[in-house]
Amino acid sequence: MSSIPADQPPARRAHPAGDDGAGGGSGGIGRRRVFNPLNVLLVLGLTAAAFLYPYYNEALQAIPLIGDFVPGVGAMVVMLVFTMMAVGLNIVVGYAGLLDLGYVAFYAAGAYMAAWFASQQFEQWRFHFGAVGISPELPGIHLSIWIVLILAGIFTTVVGILIGLPTLRLRGDYLAIVTLGFGEIIPQFVRNGDNIFGFDLTHGTFGISPIDSPGFGALGGGLLPESYQTSFERQSWFFWTALVLLLITIFCSVQLRDSRLGRAWIAIREDETAAAAMGIPLMRTKTWSYAIGAFFGGVAGAFYASFKSGAFPADFYFNISIFLLCMVILGGMGSVWGVIVGGMVLGYLNVEGLSTIGTKLNEAFFDPVFGKQIEVAKYQFGIYGAISVRMMLFRPVGLIPERRRRRELEEGVHDESLYDASSH
Amino acid sequence: MSAAQTNGGGGVILRLEDVHTYYGAIHALKGISLDVREGEIVTLIGANGAGKSTTLRSINGLNHPRRGRIVFQGRDITNEPPHEVVKMGISQSPEGRKLFPRMTVRENLEMGAFQRRDRANFKEDVDRVYSLFPRLAERRNQNAGTMSGGEQQMCAIGRALMARPKLLLLDEPSMGLAPIFVEKIFEIVREINEQGTPILLVEQNALMALDAAERGYVMETGRIALADDAHALRQNEQVRKAYLGET
Repeated sequence: MSSIPADQPPARRAHPAGDDGAGGGSGGIGRRRVFNPLNVLLVLGLTAAAFLYPYYNEALQAIPLIGDFVPGVGAMVVMLVFTMMAVGLNIVVGYAGLLDLGYVAFYAAGAYMAAWFASQQFEQWRFHFGAVGISPELPGIHLSIWIVLILAGIFTTVVGILIGLPTLRLRGDYLAIVTLGFGEIIPQFVRNGDNIFGFDLTHGTFGISPIDSPGFGALGGGLLPESYQTSFERQSWFFWTALVLLLITIFCSVQLRDSRLGRAWIAIREDETAAAAMGIPLMRTKTWSYAIGAFFGGVAGAFYASFKSGAFPADFYFNISIFLLCMVILGGMGSVWGVIVGGMVLGYLNVEGLSTIGTKLNEAFFDPVFGKQIEVAKYQFGIYGAISVRMMLFRPVGLIPERRRRRELEEGVHDESLYDASSH
Repeated sequence: MSAAQTNGGGGVILRLEDVHTYYGAIHALKGISLDVREGEIVTLIGANGAGKSTTLRSINGLNHPRRGRIVFQGRDITNEPPHEVVKMGISQSPEGRKLFPRMTVRENLEMGAFQRRDRANFKEDVDRVYSLFPRLAERRNQNAGTMSGGEQQMCAIGRALMARPKLLLLDEPSMGLAPIFVEKIFEIVREINEQGTPILLVEQNALMALDAAERGYVMETGRIALADDAHALRQNEQVRKAYLGET
């Protein structure tokens, strides 16, 4: 028994399982989906509209009243990166049902991979490979950001497996506490990693900057920018890249959900003992969800570090883990489309929505009436908290619930609450 | 059926030898020895807490014994993890049924075939389960958690059959069911057995279990108290008093 099913890469779902059900859409585990042409059209349309965003962004912002609330292209990059992390976290929390309160650790690990392999951090060495937009004389390790993204993904996957193996034996609350611990350890390590037996690994609280920018160098052939940093359309290129990364994440996420591995995750989420009795290897299956979730967190972290051109320990506080978790909960645990919506909405509020709303409120209300201004953005965690509580009370399955959870909502048979909060 | 006969065990497919299993500090099984042979239904009866379910959990790898040996088809499976045990051909309908409540009947059946390598016969097997349990065919797209207890039990047994087991473990299939469903379930248990699958049946409903089985073991506080032909146990004074409610 050398190869065990859950070990197979997700692409394996094309194995003979489908041959009996390709027509009916219900083969063995890991089914082939039947695409609804309307949905396909919708997805393609949305994708096209998203790609063109930099072109009509200014036109949108010029619309009176509404225009002020339209996020700029730069803000969109941040929203996309956070949404990508939320979709990654959804694999762990939504699919496999493992409450991970330390996802920020993977974000940090990814960001520092970019900081190590695409900056002047290690001045004692000089190694360039595919780096763009910088002088070849620059000391430090400078790999192409594309390579760094992949390395960061691999590195965080390994970190995920290392953290996962000892901790995933725990269930529920215990797992949450341990992951919370790891989420705290990594930023602390980063903060104190400036002198590891005399070796400056992380540059301590100062963080590492600048970090190289992505770009295509000579390969771009004039069509693609040599380096994003020096491009006239810097923001747009970062936006498009973030969008492509998010789309890849979504694609993998949907494929995984419908794979044999995805089904095993859902079985574990539903009933761990029953899943074991069906022959699902628990540890391996859970570790895969953790590792794959970590992969996307790492890639997103590395990309974000490159976009910000820096990695700082202050970016990796616990509240980021919670913030990402809120995106997953708001959107609907396990539902990819829901998590995208949740990620974009909370991402928007976080990046500029709240401060815009605050400014407007001040102009229209607080200033003229009370002669005072309030800073709405400072209340952000109160606001997110209120949103989460409302969601839990009135729509616990999220904005766009996963099919399975929606059924639960409609049929109302499981996990009935002690009393109906919405009737008050 | 030839596999077990060739390994010289006299048709014994599963053998437990002096199995001791603990829950933490609690010594739940105090030296269980039993056999299941090819083609037969063996029942394990006894009061609540006697260790019947623990015996099954020891076999399928959810609770590894601290002492003793479990041999399946000549292979020592004492310390194999559950997924390996399933892969070797032991599948079960666990205590309390343990369906995936938010998956449909059909999806539950799919999960039963999780460890199977040969996917080609998948549809055939689903059809076989549907023909055993026509009710499941009607409800194939319903969420398993919304069905009645009897239907859920059918689904749990059907799911276990999807693994094409060489040995089927049934844990209290009659628990919580209306008498009419109990009859029905036992009928199907016999039918499955007649189609060639040996069954280890754990039951509190000793009367029904002994009627269905060829041989039986009576458990008391972690030990095998009696072992005999089902017919003989049925006549046994002690058994009649303790488990069959006769005076």
